[in-house]
Amino acid sequence: MESYGQKITVSWWRLALLALIFGVGFFSLASSLHRVQVEEVDRFSHDLRRQSIRRKQEPGARGRIFDRHGVCLAETKPSFCIAINVAELRRPGNWTNTINAVDAEIDRIAKFLDIPRTISHQTVSNHVLRALPMPLLVWRNLSHETVARLAESPVNFAGADIHIQPERVYPYGSLAAHVLGYVRRDRPKPLPGDVVHFYLPEQVGRSGLEAQYNELLTGSSGEKLIQVDSRGYKHDEIQGEKHVAPGHDLQLTLDLKIQRAVERALRGWRGAGVVLDPRNGEVLALASAPSYDLNSFVPILSPSVWKKLSTSPDKPLLNRAVQGRYAPGSTFKPVTAISALMKGYSPDAEYDCTGVFTLAGLHLRCWNTYGHGEISMRKALEQSCNCYFCNLGGIIGYNAIYDQAKKLGLGAATGIDLPNESPGLLPTDEWKQRRLKDKWRTGDTCQLAIGQGMLLTTPLQMAVVTAALANRGTVYRPHLNLADPPVRVRSLDWPTWKIELVRAGMLDVATFGTGRRVQTGGLKIAAKTGTAEVDRGGRRRKNTWVTAFAPYDAPTAAVVMMVEDGESGGLTVAPMVHAVMAAIFGETGSAAETHPDEKQPENEPAPANGTDGEAEARNA
Amino acid sequence: MRDWGFVKKLRRFNPLILSCVVSLSIVGTLFIYSACSIRENPVLQVLHLRHIEVALAGLAALTFISFLDYRKLLEWHWISYAAGIVMLMLVPLIGESRMGGQRWLFGIQPAELMKLAVILTLAQLFGQRGANHGFKAFLFSGLLVVVPATLILLQPDLGTAMVMASTFIAMLFAANIAPKAVWSCVLAAMLLAGAVLGTVYYAEKAKDLTPEQREQVLKATHLRPHQIRRLQVFLFPDKDLHGSGYNRRQSEIAVGSGGWRGKGYGKGEQYTLGYLPPSVSSNDFIFSVLAEETGFMGTITVLLLFLALLWSGLWVAFKCQDDRGRLICVGVTALVFSHAFINIAMTIGMMPITGLPLPFISYGRTFMVTLMLAFGFVQSVSIHGREPETRF
Repeated sequence: MESYGQKITVSWWRLALLALIFGVGFFSLASSLHRVQVEEVDRFSHDLRRQSIRRKQEPGARGRIFDRHGVCLAETKPSFCIAINVAELRRPGNWTNTINAVDAEIDRIAKFLDIPRTISHQTVSNHVLRALPMPLLVWRNLSHETVARLAESPVNFAGADIHIQPERVYPYGSLAAHVLGYVRRDRPKPLPGDVVHFYLPEQVGRSGLEAQYNELLTGSSGEKLIQVDSRGYKHDEIQGEKHVAPGHDLQLTLDLKIQRAVERALRGWRGAGVVLDPRNGEVLALASAPSYDLNSFVPILSPSVWKKLSTSPDKPLLNRAVQGRYAPGSTFKPVTAISALMKGYSPDAEYDCTGVFTLAGLHLRCWNTYGHGEISMRKALEQSCNCYFCNLGGIIGYNAIYDQAKKLGLGAATGIDLPNESPGLLPTDEWKQRRLKDKWRTGDTCQLAIGQGMLLTTPLQMAVVTAALANRGTVYRPHLNLADPPVRVRSLDWPTWKIELVRAGMLDVATFGTGRRVQTGGLKIAAKTGTAEVDRGGRRRKNTWVTAFAPYDAPTAAVVMMVEDGESGGLTVAPMVHAVMAAIFGETGSAAETHPDEKQPENEPAPANGTDGEAEARNA
Repeated sequence: MRDWGFVKKLRRFNPLILSCVVSLSIVGTLFIYSACSIRENPVLQVLHLRHIEVALAGLAALTFISFLDYRKLLEWHWISYAAGIVMLMLVPLIGESRMGGQRWLFGIQPAELMKLAVILTLAQLFGQRGANHGFKAFLFSGLLVVVPATLILLQPDLGTAMVMASTFIAMLFAANIAPKAVWSCVLAAMLLAGAVLGTVYYAEKAKDLTPEQREQVLKATHLRPHQIRRLQVFLFPDKDLHGSGYNRRQSEIAVGSGGWRGKGYGKGEQYTLGYLPPSVSSNDFIFSVLAEETGFMGTITVLLLFLALLWSGLWVAFKCQDDRGRLICVGVTALVFSHAFINIAMTIGMMPITGLPLPFISYGRTFMVTLMLAFGFVQSVSIHGREPETRF
């Protein structure tokens, strides 16, 4: 049975050859593995990333906006959302199963929290099929109570996640709405490099400073890398190369207290108000009425609100202070006056106002039906005599007025850091020929001299003019960004006695003339009222103005307010300017005194114009 | 004169084989755990425990067989062969189907056990005293191999049939059976394989073929549709990356992205994220998991362990003074080599995809037991294959 010692057929070299074959076989495997794992590792790693990594772009938090004293006017705050984590509700087989499961879960949560369902089956389906690794945001901007109810719910909602999303918040609602502007959700600027698969929406400024300083305020996007499994569900999330960084904050020249006083004064009217610092062009307040609540644009502006805002005849979205074009009326007369003085016209030359001015078929009535009688420049300013200035315009001619008006920045955008500023209209012969097919006539110059006719200005332009009169001849570019240095656009070489004469005329206006309602206890204010009659839509309407600056000797504030369809500048607007002046200079016992920390202005009624009007009538 | 003391037997026990077997089984357990721990089915999560259990049971069987004289065991070779054939014939009748093949009978895969039965039968046939080494032996042994191979091919399992063929050729070569006939057959097989591949290549590349003609050409290979697809994927790797080429592609990404040192144990992304399907990551494609997590260092280590095991097996054969013993070693090492080679080559696209497990590492209980029994026989050859030292 035992077989030791038999002749061996399976010789040693056959075994050795087999051993060699095994060795060669494994060596070839090793070299192939070396090729795949060591030489081509980059290629396969790249393939791996391409199939399992999705880039997600996350915009950085938008910077905040402060007033000049550091009060926050716009910030980005977390808001609560409920999101569905689809991976938790995944169902095997066809995607429809998962979509239906998500749908059912949304209905369950809606029923439990008793909130209406806000997204459609189609949206759910699109999300599952195209954005699977991202959370599906179902409800946004929920109250703490609702979120708490879900978090503490005894029923388990497998797919529900509480999700935090940054939202723009305007603590003061409609305050300075036109200046701040609103944001909309939009796609962020794509990151450089590989394709970005998903992105979180970014808040993009669409109007006002939010649009003007969008670059500054926008944070820089970061990237997250989502690792997805073979079905497309999120497995993990890794920080990408680029980190998210918040945007820069913006500090404004606005003064909350003044801004609020201007807005309160304008409440109930259609109009605008601008307060400039005549020493450097800083905008202390810039308001347009009616306004709107900026928070209604967050998180998404509802179509009904948008429709209401965009179709309202009051045009609340229009920033009247920089986009509204109005005839300045009598507030232009100081410009005419300084033009005449610069032309060499004597301020003491008197003109006999009879109450009506007639020129080549043109009949212009002075507001004082009985006429002002013999009147000189200073008195004419104080009395705002139309006849005097019409006559003056005719004497000094178009070019003299045009020259000064142009230098004061009329007919051109002031260059304020707000978008869509209107340049107004400073009419010229060439313009009239082109648009009205008619040559320039002396009557046009007369109209121009009293700020009527074709001349159109924005309240901001008149504020720049007023500031230049206040600071005795320097035109500053108005600006809202406190970090910007003052920009001197032009220096007008007005001899001191000439500009002082015009200023004295304006002081008289505020002291005994048409603008005496601006008076604020003890403060020396200079002002000019204006009531421009315009023909709008076949109806004669009045735009009422007051331009003012104070303190008279060394002005620190130039205030311009304009109200559409007012009674007259002196009656309607002067009390408003009074309130603003009181807010700026702190008149004792003034109702306009407010505390900057006050969140929402109390609901006080619009100024009672009726009684003021009666008082004015009695005084006249 | 012959003193078979227990200690003497123990001294002849080949320690290198045992350590390679144990090491490879541990490697298998570790990476089956890696691949299975992420699965949701709690039964599948602990697959590595099943692997350990069967490895331990197999080791016990290995040790037990080691101390039995293989020549005595070989006397029963025909029973194992007959039992294997019966089981293989029962598979199509009452067997269970899993993962696209009807291969299971009462939870075991008869095809795996049949591999060992064929090796033992051939060893006895070629190695017994006075064995015929001529053409007759070739024909008879061929019949012994073709019958089970045909039954296995019907399951269908091309990989196992290929492994049996290469093991058969290795044993024919070692026993020097009808060399001319064998080499002619090998040549013929290679020509056939070349012809099949050529046909598939032609069907794909020829421009003037209508789809119907293409169908006809492919039909001429007499392969099954999924086998043709695998060959197509092998020839044209980028053809169908989301269908039949998917596993090959994902396996290659797994291996390739491992790099020098791998991503670390338990950190393989390809199977974690399900790109490498969980149904194959613990068995046929376990090497991809290992390669991804341990990198080239790990794969080279596994290759060296296999090579050490194979060379030790051949060393045992070299030390053996008996043809039957030597043939057992040749058969077992050839079996392990072809399994390991085909499996690893397939994970990097060097070979068409076949459902072959990687010895000791892939999860597969019948195959594990078969291997343990096989190396039990090798150890038995190591112990009993030469005369015991005579004591003076």
